[in-house]
Amino acid sequence: MSGWHLTPAQAHDYAARRTDEITAMSVEAHLMHCPPCRSMLPADEEWLADGWASLRDVVDRPRRGVVETLLSHTGLRAETAKLLAATPRLYQAWLGSTVVVLIAALAAAHTLPRGSLMFVFLAPVVPLVGVALAYGRGIDPAHTLASVTPMAGQRLLFLRTCAVLVPALLLCTGAGLLLPHTVTAWDAIFWLLPALTLVSGSLLLGRMMHLSVASGVVGGLWVLGLILVSLSGQGVPLGVFAPQAQMWWGVLLATLVGALVFRVRVA
Amino acid sequence: MSLTLTGPVRLRGVTRRYGTRAALDGVDLDLGPGVTGLLGRNGAGKTTLMRCLATDLDPTSGELRLLGRDPGRTTERTEIRRRLGYLPQNPDFYPHFTAFALLDYMAVLKELGGRRARHDEVRRVLRQVGLYDRRHSRVRRLSGGMRQRLALASALMGDPDLLLLDEPTVGLDPEQRIRFRNLVSHLATRSTVVLSTHQIEDVAALCGHIVCLDGGRVVFDGAPGDLVDRARGHVWEGTGDPGIGLTSWRLPDGRHRVLTPETAGAPGPSFTAVEPTLEDAYLLLIGVSGTEGR
Repeated sequence: MSGWHLTPAQAHDYAARRTDEITAMSVEAHLMHCPPCRSMLPADEEWLADGWASLRDVVDRPRRGVVETLLSHTGLRAETAKLLAATPRLYQAWLGSTVVVLIAALAAAHTLPRGSLMFVFLAPVVPLVGVALAYGRGIDPAHTLASVTPMAGQRLLFLRTCAVLVPALLLCTGAGLLLPHTVTAWDAIFWLLPALTLVSGSLLLGRMMHLSVASGVVGGLWVLGLILVSLSGQGVPLGVFAPQAQMWWGVLLATLVGALVFRVRVA
Repeated sequence: MSLTLTGPVRLRGVTRRYGTRAALDGVDLDLGPGVTGLLGRNGAGKTTLMRCLATDLDPTSGELRLLGRDPGRTTERTEIRRRLGYLPQNPDFYPHFTAFALLDYMAVLKELGGRRARHDEVRRVLRQVGLYDRRHSRVRRLSGGMRQRLALASALMGDPDLLLLDEPTVGLDPEQRIRFRNLVSHLATRSTVVLSTHQIEDVAALCGHIVCLDGGRVVFDGAPGDLVDRARGHVWEGTGDPGIGLTSWRLPDGRHRVLTPETAGAPGPSFTAVEPTLEDAYLLLIGVSGTEGR
């Protein structure tokens, strides 16, 4: 023993975690052998309990999965990342099948005459299928438990819709850029407004029926529209993506989003 | 104000139809603090009523008020859900989640704020249902009874004011059922608990109020003692043939226990009237009301 002891100020600083690391180590080494100095430290049961609880929480907390960790690194709140990462495996299956379909569409575009048409007509439907599989009874295994929580309903639906839309739009845009005749950015995103319109229509209709059924109805209407345009004598219905048609898609999208917001607000 | 007068749960003329079939048909109910037992045969409308109370299903018509609020309005429904715990019939989970992770996910959905506070709540409910030691087990590795307790833990999170339990003791062994009863009776000192079950023993042990449904209608709404009183003089034990058309079963000592409807007397000279149980009273009630309904 050196005869050195803690001053009350030093003990106070140590207890308040205000000492630097080297001093803290010296203090701890001394405290191990000096009961009088140990008695100067506050026996704060609450502080001790909190320390143990923090430690227990570190040991006990569930390990984050790869998806949740990646989402957290993008700046999302931890809770949001947790909700998105827990989406059903069907969502992962949709993501995988989307990649396969887009690769097939690109292969067709590069190898077949007029093969780009496959991408042209599929791209607006890809996000719609994702939204249909994003939420609902029969799709989410934990739906019965989750459906009566405060987050359920529109909030969870919109959250999962965004989780579907972001990768869908990125994948389709990436595929659009790889099409053989793509020159400008516009050539890669001509499908965007129709896709968003179909999704909005599906969400609006989903307030009256199951979302999967609503998406099926909207997708069916899209196909029916393409057939009708074809039968009207235009041959290939590329006119639905023409610049002047885009204006109408924009108007329709704004109307549907407005109606959706209105329905949510007045509910 | 109506909350004080009528209790946390109020239904007036609530009807729920599936197509042309009415699963609930003009139900009037007032449920207050304590445990209410919801009884009825399969298809009587119990689960539909529970789903309406859980805000999972909208009534086709009628007035429903939960915790003084209207679940038909989005903002009020969210407020109700913040104070609601629901254990559905046949709950399902994400099988790859651990018990802790699943409850943590549910806690996020229930808006239990702050990671530490959320995790503390998860630990609390895991201890309450006796699953703390299995907190790191994946859901797919838990037995049916453990999954049922996990769903119960999910319902208990956030200390709900209204707790709805649909067939909660399915898959629980006798020891767990006793533990469950103690837990529910403790919670009922400060919450409104609605227990839908076929287990009459659970109702007899826990409920101060019974609601019995048949064909979507309320056929009894009152205290268990009142239901038992109705059966007095209609339960018999004796030897010999009890006759056709009466509800009866053979006892271990070879005698028969017979339930007779109100219009009938003793089933035979060797039969004597005995004290009815809640189960006798329930069987008589649904038997009689079933006959009347046909």
